[in-house]
Amino acid sequence: MNELSRAQIRDLMAQVLKNQGKVLPDDDAADLREIGFRSLDFSELALRVEDETGEELNFDAPGLRRIATVGDVLDFLVELQKQ
Amino acid sequence: MTVGTPGPVAAPHPAPAGTGNRIVVGGVALTWQDLPDPALSAPSAVLAHGARDALAAARHHATHGTELLISTDSRVDAGLRAELRDAGFTLTDLADGQTRSLAPTRPRAAEPGRLWLLTSGSTGRPKRVGHTLGSLTTVRGDQPARTWLCPYAPGTYAWWQVVTLSLTQPGQHLVVVEPDQLDDWPALAAAHGVDAASGTPTFWRRSIYADAAALARVPLRQITLGGEPVDQAILDQLRELFPAARISWIYASSEVGASIVVHDGRAGFPVEWLDRPAPGRPTLSVRDDELVITSPYHGVGLDGPVRTGDRVQVVDDRVLITGRLDSDEINVGGSKVSAGLVRDVLTAHPGVAWARVTGRRAPVLGRMVVAEVVPHPTSAGDGGDPPDEAALVRWCADRLPEHAVPRRIRVLPEIPVKETLKSDV
Repeated sequence: MNELSRAQIRDLMAQVLKNQGKVLPDDDAADLREIGFRSLDFSELALRVEDETGEELNFDAPGLRRIATVGDVLDFLVELQKQ
Repeated sequence: MTVGTPGPVAAPHPAPAGTGNRIVVGGVALTWQDLPDPALSAPSAVLAHGARDALAAARHHATHGTELLISTDSRVDAGLRAELRDAGFTLTDLADGQTRSLAPTRPRAAEPGRLWLLTSGSTGRPKRVGHTLGSLTTVRGDQPARTWLCPYAPGTYAWWQVVTLSLTQPGQHLVVVEPDQLDDWPALAAAHGVDAASGTPTFWRRSIYADAAALARVPLRQITLGGEPVDQAILDQLRELFPAARISWIYASSEVGASIVVHDGRAGFPVEWLDRPAPGRPTLSVRDDELVITSPYHGVGLDGPVRTGDRVQVVDDRVLITGRLDSDEINVGGSKVSAGLVRDVLTAHPGVAWARVTGRRAPVLGRMVVAEVVPHPTSAGDGGDPPDEAALVRWCADRLPEHAVPRRIRVLPEIPVKETLKSDV
């Protein structure tokens, strides 16, 4: 399976925010609400990961955990690729 | 499911009045009465291998009243062939005037005067809808002489509309486009004096995309659109190319006939037309966002209000038909989005020649709005680059609620089209 690294997903996340006129901070602990990364952005990022890898993510596999920071998003998508 | 048109079916048919009209098929000019008369059993399901064969079968019906279904080899698969033979039809392949027939598996008596159409099958298996030459002839009275382009697949409702017009009205000539001529039809049309053409919005978009200058050389006085939702952008583009032409859009289907005709150059129809009964005319209604039509022209089994399966939305003073009910509505995290309205926003971008909008499975929200576009070929030639994904997302974000903005927009190299001249069906 063609998986993206955490750094590659971070680049995609930065692109999603940039298209909204926003900036992704370097700090993984940054709060998603503060940087304006919302559910639509999260969904778009997931689709971008799918498009890059050519693989569908199994969104039903893991129970949705609390995703509050940039690091949570990256961890979740890295993990989801392995499901 | 089969349905038939009401009332007694006259037999034999009166001779059609348009058989002296000129038709051009395969690049050859002749008249209806010059076509060969194939030997057909009744009832027959004719699978025409070429446009000339399909016209010959139509003329055969008009002359003899033989119960017929006309389609093409490619639209009828093995399962449907078996169904037709079970329904009592002789299955007849008609190629260059030569017939090859398979007898029905359950023979039955023919119903003189009956014509059968196969629906496009957009909502499942194609079904047969019964008509007569009379019920398919929706244009009556004196018409200005015209030479019509016929780009449609034989046997479809749209094809019958153009064919019956030419068969029944003197002065209505026909130039038929074969599938392999679709990209070059303007040259053929200009050479044969076509001044009226009917096509889907996808057909017109492809024609403008392929060569707008060649299209503008066709001396069109009547332009008709139908078969798909008609948006303002395509009407405006055609108006720019043909400032003096009458531009009309028609809502028609095998089930309810031609029910809405709009000539004012605007998308949708006036909201005052809703729930306004008039003798001999269809009544248009909206129930739960669905277009409902009560038409004097639809079939037996379809009396009274018919739910069309098409989604409508009232915007200001117009009722817009946005797409099929089962595919037009996209639920994004509980918010409803009309794919058709998003598509209209994309196609209103000056750099976009064509767009398709769908829902795509996504986490958290369930579905997300995504799109495919084909850039207009002249957008680069005008000094600007074709619009990229980010520019189109911004364009939509300025005009749509946030959840309706397509976040993933794929650029396609050319406008996709199917035999029905539609993109989505």
